[in-house]
This record gives sequence, C-alpha cells and structure tokens, in this order.
Amino acid sequence: MMRHRNILWFIGIFVGLLVVPLIYSDPFFIRIITEAFMWIGLAITWDVIGGYAGRVNFGHGVFFGIGAYVTAILMTKGGWLFTLTLPMAGLGAGLVALVVGFPTLRLMGAYFAIAMWSLALAFQQLALLLNITGGPDGMRMPAFLNPAFFFYIMLCTVAASFALLWYLMERAPFGLKVGSIREDESGAMALGLNPTKIKIQAFVLSAVPAGMIGGIYAYWISYINPASVLGDIITDQAIVMAVFGGLGTLIGPAIGALIVFAFKTLFWAYLSSYQVLYLIILGAVIAATVVFLPNGIWGTYLTYRKSKPLGSVIYKSVEGDNEHA
Amino acid sequence: MLLLLPQALVDGIMIGGVFITIAIGFSLAFGVMHIIDLAVGEWIMLGAFLGLYLNQWTNIEPFIFLPVVFVVFGLIGYYVQPVIFRVVSGKKGNPLLMGLVFTFGLALIFKGAGLTIFGFYSHSIPSVFSKGSFSIELGNFFLTIPVIRFMGLSYAIIITIMLQYLLKKTDFGLAARALAQNREASGLMGINPKKTSSYVYAIYVGISAMTGVLIGCIFTLSAQMGFKYTVFSFFVVVLAGMGYMSGVPWAAFLLGLVQSIFLIYFNPGYTLLALFVILYGVLLISPKGLFGRGW
Repeated sequence: MMRHRNILWFIGIFVGLLVVPLIYSDPFFIRIITEAFMWIGLAITWDVIGGYAGRVNFGHGVFFGIGAYVTAILMTKGGWLFTLTLPMAGLGAGLVALVVGFPTLRLMGAYFAIAMWSLALAFQQLALLLNITGGPDGMRMPAFLNPAFFFYIMLCTVAASFALLWYLMERAPFGLKVGSIREDESGAMALGLNPTKIKIQAFVLSAVPAGMIGGIYAYWISYINPASVLGDIITDQAIVMAVFGGLGTLIGPAIGALIVFAFKTLFWAYLSSYQVLYLIILGAVIAATVVFLPNGIWGTYLTYRKSKPLGSVIYKSVEGDNEHA
Repeated sequence: MLLLLPQALVDGIMIGGVFITIAIGFSLAFGVMHIIDLAVGEWIMLGAFLGLYLNQWTNIEPFIFLPVVFVVFGLIGYYVQPVIFRVVSGKKGNPLLMGLVFTFGLALIFKGAGLTIFGFYSHSIPSVFSKGSFSIELGNFFLTIPVIRFMGLSYAIIITIMLQYLLKKTDFGLAARALAQNREASGLMGINPKKTSSYVYAIYVGISAMTGVLIGCIFTLSAQMGFKYTVFSFFVVVLAGMGYMSGVPWAAFLLGLVQSIFLIYFNPGYTLLALFVILYGVLLISPKGLFGRGW
C-alpha cells in the first residue's frame, strides 16, 4: 500500500514537471530548473557510494567531467549524434569507476577517499595538457539553442536514475547487501557476500548517471573547460548537498540539492563580488551538519516523525514505510 | 641527458626533505586518531601566510620565527581537535565517514577564507638563504645546490630527529604510541586519550604550518596551494604505509625524485598524473605501503 503511494508521488511530481515548460517557457526559468535537476542527479548518485555504501568519494566531479569531455570529443572530432554520445558518456565514466574502484575499494575507506581525491587532481591536469581536450582553452561545441529539449532530457535522465536507484537501493536485495557492507564488512563477508564486488557495482552505478549528466551539461552549455567541468567545486557541492540533505536516503540528497542550489543561485545573483565567501559557507554548512545533524535534515525529520508515535524506536530510514503507525 | 641526472637526484632529495616533515605529522595524527585529515594542505597554506605576514611586518629572517608559527598553530590545533574527536567518537551515523567529511568541511572553510583574505596572487617569502648556492664543477660533472633547499633538508632532518626522540624516549611518546595501537587498552593503562590526541594533533598542525613557511621560502605560496600539498601528503603516507612512520622518509624522497625527474626530463604538468599512477600501482600491488607495514 505505502509502496504504491511512494510511486504515485514520484509519478505525480514527474508528470507535473513534464508540463512546466508548456505553462511557463521563460528561458531563464527553464535554465534554472534544468540546473536544479542536474544537481539533484549529482547529489543522489554521490549518495549511492557515499551514503549507502559508506565510502566518501572526493572525486565525483571526475565522472561528470569525463562524461562532458567524452561527449564534446565525440561530437566535435567524431561528428557523432548526441543520442549516441549520451550512452558513451555514461560508459566512459563507468569504465573509469571500474578501473579505479578495483584496487581502492578492497581496502578501508580512507584509501578510497585518498585515491579519488588524487584522481580528481590528476584528471584536471590531464585535461589541461592533452591536445584532444583543447587544454586550458577548453572545447566549443555546436550550440543547440532549445532550452525545452535540455529540460526534458535532463529531467528524464535524472528521474530515470532516481527511479532505478530507488528500486535497487530501497526495494531490491542489492540495497540490503550494500547496507550490510556499510554496517559491518566482515559480517557481510561471513554471510557469503563479496564486499569488493558489491562496492564496485555500487560505485559504477553512481558513476554512470553522473557521466551522462556531464554529457548533457556539455551539449547544453556548449562550452567546457577543465575548470568548469573538472573543477573541485562540482564534487564539493555534491558532497555538501548529500550530507546536508541526509546520507543513505535518496530524498534527502534531492532536498539538500534543491536547498543548496537555491542558495547558490541567490548568492551568485546578489553577492557575486564575494564569490569566495561561498566556499566558506559551504564548508561551514557541512561541518555544522556533521557536528549537529549527522543524519542530515531529512534523516532528522524522519527520526523526529518516527519518535513521536513510536517512542524512541529508531530504525534506518526506509522512506515512508511505517506511515501506518 | 645523463649529465643532468646527478642534479635531478640531488634536487629530488632536497625537495623530498620538505615532505618528510608534513607526512610524519600527518602519519602521527592518523595513527593516533584514525582519521585522514583532508585539511593538511590548508594548514600548510595558512602557516605559509602567517610566515609571509610576520616577515612583511617585522622584516625578520623567516627561519627565526618558525617556533612562533609552531606555537600559534599548535594552539589552534589543540582547540580544533576536541571537535574532531567528538565527531569521530560519536554514536550516530558512521563516525569514520563523518570524520572525513568534517575535515573536508574544515578544508573548504580554510580555502575559502584563504582566498577571501589573501587573494589569488602567488607570493614568496624572502630569506637571507634564498640567494646563495653551492656549486661543484669537475669537468663535465656539475652540481648546484641552492642554500635554501639545503636549509630545508636540514630543517626536515632536525624535526624528524626531534619527533623520533619525542615518540621513542618520552612518556608522552609512549602514551601516543600506545594510543595508536589500542585505544581502549591504553585508556585502561591510565592514558587520557582526549588530552594525548589533542597534543598529537597540535604537534601535527604546528609542524605542517612551519613547513608551510619553509615551502613559502623555497617555492611559492598562494591560497590555492592547499589541494596540491594534500595530495603530496597522501601520496607519501600511502607509499610509506598508513601509520608506519619509519617508511615516511623513503616515500618522501621518492616523491621528491619523481618531481625533479619530471621537471628536468618531462613536462612538469604530468607530475600529478605520474603520482596518481604510482599511487594506483601501490594500492593494486601492495596496499600496505612499499614496506608492507602499514594499516
């Protein structure tokens, strides 16, 4: 019963968003909404490895950047169609995740964090030096000026990722496996699970949609350079959004993404001369969240809602499952 | 080509010396608190800027006020550590993950503050040692050693010896090592884990900041430099084996050699890429570090 209600909510919001460009087609408005989808997508995909699997990924922006560069290179140098480059962007990001995840995810979480932090810097350098990426000048692509097209493709990609991740993480056994590895890796191993394999699967699962979102971003903005698609700020914001919203859920990072993105948009609109202050605020938000609200705003809300009728029973948030209480 | 090889080796050892001090502090803090401090590069950056401003204000030789920088940042570290301790030993969520995320937040704050206060320009700290250099010339064979780099290496060796003495010969060192081995058991033996961790973190932050001043004298300093030095510290610590301090000097010299060889023979822009490839290879083949003695 409750499961149907969740799906109905999801479909309702999705359909509601589908008609938005038909009602109000101001390009600036559409652009802001499209970017909000993009950040939701990045935050929920970060949360798959960060929240569900409990491995902090400090290089999520790498997958976004790889997707963007794969799309740009294939479209300008190879003359491919966008519909063909989109899966390639996801594939490229997934392959990198597979190769990097294999040695680092077998080890304890700190190694993975270090490796991804270094990988982010290495890819920035690589994009600055290679000829095929255009070096620091970046790449320019044929502009396709149709805001509604990008609105729909971003919405569909993010909604499809959300639905797939929700199914895998909240409904399918895979989510339980990932959760058991986060809670107790040796215990999971004793039950016959292969933690490395499952973590790599989760990592690839988080990388592929991020790469596709990067591909859409490249074609949408039609100009990319190492700072814009491989810069630290992408990873930083995705982490802040996911942690602030609530780790280990999908709704939490989506809400966190909306709040942080709204704040960012307002901040850059009114206080753009103080851009670097933004970093301080991001850092302060994440540090304060960790100290005062370790479950994020959504996790805190769920605990609060559950604690009212059920006393102090706290269990891991399978969203909306005990509304009958 | 081969003529430059001795120069590359000597340069590498001189650069590597600087990284020993950062990585030893980092390794110590990891051993005792079991968290990776992602703000290590930012401590270096902040220390370097304190050195720059002290130098501009007083015009005193930067090597003389290294202890001042150590004390200032030691105090900051001493008061920051309890917050990290609270996050890492918390009951909610995943404490280790939260520790990583918290130090990441610190790094963001410091970086933003650095960019806001110090701006985007590169500076360097003038020192009386910056000008001179020793040179050796024997026919085709020649070597140049800038005095400042030699001083950097000497500083690194002195700090390393002092830390070794502190860790191996004093009661405090015994407590810190016990804490690194087993937190609960050391608590039963009458060691105060909070106090000891705070001191260790203070020493680590102080040393990182002092090294920042040195980096400002030898190379350049800018508010964006933190990220790079964080990666260098990680590289050294992973190669040495996490928490295994005796491996740190060798890993640091290797990092210095990679840097100087890329600087002389290849495009220096590929240095970070090469570091990542080495890191990846080590994690693939021997994740416990080059000596197999890490965590």
